[in-house]
Amino acid sequence: MKIATTRFGDISIDESRIVEMREGMLGFEHLKRYVLLTQEKETPFLWFQSVDDGSLAFVVIHAFMAMPDYEPIIPDEDVKLLEITSTGPEDIVVLSVVTIRSDPFKVTANLRAPIVINAKKRLAKQVVLAEGDYPVQHPLTENATNIEGKKDDKIPSVPAP
Amino acid sequence: MLILTRKLGETIRIGNTIRVTVLEAKGKQIRIGIEAPPEVTVHREEVYQVIREQNILAAQAGRDSTVGESLSHIWKRLKNAKEEVE
Repeated sequence: MKIATTRFGDISIDESRIVEMREGMLGFEHLKRYVLLTQEKETPFLWFQSVDDGSLAFVVIHAFMAMPDYEPIIPDEDVKLLEITSTGPEDIVVLSVVTIRSDPFKVTANLRAPIVINAKKRLAKQVVLAEGDYPVQHPLTENATNIEGKKDDKIPSVPAP
Repeated sequence: MLILTRKLGETIRIGNTIRVTVLEAKGKQIRIGIEAPPEVTVHREEVYQVIREQNILAAQAGRDSTVGESLSHIWKRLKNAKEEVE
């Protein structure tokens, strides 16, 4: 299918790559379908693009890249909602929403409310963590080196033009 | 909204599994005890508000047309800063 985005123009996406967020993103509850886009290979940033509102896209990063020892405990009700059945992490992708600011040193990642994706079932939820006391604004400067070279292909992202 | 009046130590039950008890009242502050099964998450409303606001802020940055170019710039700056420190 084709979607008209503000940022990338008209892009065509494979419908099997659409991720369903039954509850939407907090503040954007009415939008339920997203697709993960890559823009630049040399950065760890990805775009979480709304399928139904072309003007809405979040910059995201794999949460473990923002904090290598990140150990989110996903509440049972969310595990159920995301239909996570296996105990292994193989099909689970955890993304952190990045807030870009003009000063690179003020760019932050939200570790309190990661986007958890069941890659197999293509279900996602922005999970509010009850434990761990992770910050909503975690500065990316702290872990810039650890991000290098890591890659995750569980969710094949669509290259943006 | 259902409004109930409770005395100190009294409890409200929500469904079969959730109990909310008024523990203490001090001036304008009320201490509430919540007993809920593990599959029910309990948060202060402010947590959701903070996350909602952060999402809106993040989405605004995403709408700014220069962000695409600045991502690689931001990344370079972060990496260089780290290398300088080491």
